[in-house]
Amino acid sequence: MLRNHKKESLVALLLISPFLAIYGLIFVYPTIDMFFLSFQKAPLIGDGKWIGIDNYTRLERDRRFDTAMWNTAYFVALSVVPGTLIALFISIGVYRLSGRIQSLVLALFFLPYILPVSVVYRIWDWTLNFQFGIGMYLFDWLAMDRIPIFKVTGWFMPAVAFVTIWWTAGFSILLFLAGLRAIPAEIYEASALDNSSRWQTFRRITWPLLWPVTALVLTIQLILQLKIFDQVYLFSVGGRPNDNLVMVYYIFQRAFVNNDGGRAAAIAVVLFIIVVVVSVLNFQLLKFAERK
Amino acid sequence: MKSFKKFSITSALLLGLSTAAYAEEKVVWWDFLGGGDGVRMKQLISEFNTANAGEVSIDATTLEWGVPFYTKVQTSVAVGEAPDIMTYHASRIPLAVEQNVLDEITPADWDAMGLSSNDFAEQIWDGVTGPDGKIYGVPLDTHPIVLYYNKDVLEAAGQLNPDGTPKGMGSREEFTNMLKAIADSGSVKFPLGSVTADGNFMFRTIYSLVGQQNGELMTDGEFLAGDNAEKLTNALSVLQEWTTSGLQSTYTDYPATVALFTSGEAAMMINGVWEVPTMTDLHAGGKLFEWGAVELPVIFDKPATYSDSHVFAIPKGSATDPAKRAAVLKVMAGILNESLFWATAGHIPANNSVTNSAEYKSMEPNATYSTLTANMIYDPKTPLAGVAGPIFDVMSTHFVPTLNGELDPAEAVAYIKEDLNDM
Repeated sequence: MLRNHKKESLVALLLISPFLAIYGLIFVYPTIDMFFLSFQKAPLIGDGKWIGIDNYTRLERDRRFDTAMWNTAYFVALSVVPGTLIALFISIGVYRLSGRIQSLVLALFFLPYILPVSVVYRIWDWTLNFQFGIGMYLFDWLAMDRIPIFKVTGWFMPAVAFVTIWWTAGFSILLFLAGLRAIPAEIYEASALDNSSRWQTFRRITWPLLWPVTALVLTIQLILQLKIFDQVYLFSVGGRPNDNLVMVYYIFQRAFVNNDGGRAAAIAVVLFIIVVVVSVLNFQLLKFAERK
Repeated sequence: MKSFKKFSITSALLLGLSTAAYAEEKVVWWDFLGGGDGVRMKQLISEFNTANAGEVSIDATTLEWGVPFYTKVQTSVAVGEAPDIMTYHASRIPLAVEQNVLDEITPADWDAMGLSSNDFAEQIWDGVTGPDGKIYGVPLDTHPIVLYYNKDVLEAAGQLNPDGTPKGMGSREEFTNMLKAIADSGSVKFPLGSVTADGNFMFRTIYSLVGQQNGELMTDGEFLAGDNAEKLTNALSVLQEWTTSGLQSTYTDYPATVALFTSGEAAMMINGVWEVPTMTDLHAGGKLFEWGAVELPVIFDKPATYSDSHVFAIPKGSATDPAKRAAVLKVMAGILNESLFWATAGHIPANNSVTNSAEYKSMEPNATYSTLTANMIYDPKTPLAGVAGPIFDVMSTHFVPTLNGELDPAEAVAYIKEDLNDM
């Protein structure tokens, strides 16, 4: 039968048009508009005035932008690789269990992941509150000085990274567990016959065969943590917001607190470029590692 | 087609009928009053709804105070989904005018409400006047901060006057000595509970202390010009001194501060008048010691207290229909007339007819602290000011480490000045 290619592509176009329309309206159009907005002196809502690249050149001398950049990088460093390693470690432990116990332990580790961020904030705020937090009695018991964890810059990011790992590890554990289950038992049997040590088994079998999953978890974590906002915002309410700034928080601050849509858009463009570059680099790097 | 026509006619008829049957005008209301004052506002609203059943009904929603509220207002006005009436802070009016989110309250509107500038104190009226001279809000109250104190503890420490007010209110030395005397009595953990973990909140206290030295935050568009920087340093130094000598609670957030005071672990507390209902209710339930509230102590040259006003505002593009507008104005005037009850929420009503009434003058603790109305200072009139505004963020970031003894006051002020002029 002769196929009418023209007609087929027309039908295809017709079928995907609802998606294209929505995608264009709520993603492509706002993105393009954001690029234009970044060249204007504009309020959050309403028309602006064209000012060229001023919004970008200002970023160079903007100390808050520096803070936001460094804090975001610091947070990514504190959360992505450590978070992935912890999840891997826990999943290997959970994998060794069996039956009901395994389901129960897995459920316990997964539980925090289903909580909304506001609840996570409340739990940890109550735990670590300087005056009344139960965690503080631990300090007292150890005869140490209490530390106002979320009010001191040195403790803030590590604490938020810790809470984030506690909160999101469940999902990574699930992915790792699926990866571990996909490794055939025969390979382990063969290595056991060859008298390989536990470390050798992990290093030569588990780790390479699990690599695609590890790469996936790393990529998901990286993109997610570059866009960190909720936890940082909630934990620094009333405290030291300008010292704890991260990129998305700074965009929010410029746009919604300072009513400065143009400068907010310029920062958003910079973050957009960083996320694109880092994800591409990450992907290439992981592919390279896989080939090796 | 025919059936469609029939359908549309029927539905039009039905619609017509329903509007005729329900002539009641629904007024959509947003506020940010989530504390003890919110409970009282809900009562006022339900009383209004009962009194005006069949004519006007308020459909009220309470939203999260601060940035979330003001962000929602901005976006809702942009897409035409704003409420008909909302509460607002007078300090944010300059920013609101720049953002174009408020509708003018026109002279005709004032006539319809039967109110005018004569019904309000000059400062309060000035607070609702935009940079363009137009009026953008109907003042409901003014809500300063006050000093709450535990009468039982102060009496035991010998720090109570015969009239039940605290003793050392006249100078920095007197007040510090009183704090020390309370500390020495050993009955509390902290003589003074302050919201030292929340710089946003402390702006109120610190700005009051700057005002006590005749200082100003902004003069001719410049921040902390001349000796104003030094005055801010002085204000921070005294608060830091109290912390480092163990007289004031450290790294305490808002709920913890209230808890420290109500549980008797802090003998005094500087907080907004909006906590008055919390104390009244606890005391009525037999769960609180004898307490009082007075104007802030004079730490520097003269009394001064920071205050802001809650106002009613109409979002831009809302309530344009004459019937709706009339209903909205009726709501505003109606609640304002009942603001004697609003005073039980601690706030000082804005309209003179209420504050001049004998009933108001006999209300406690309002009567004790209402002397401060002569010494109130407001935010500078700039789009950068206002609760949860840009100035708050800058200040907050540097206040927290300073108040808790991590950062030198003069250094903090240098950072603040740099950051403010950077905006």
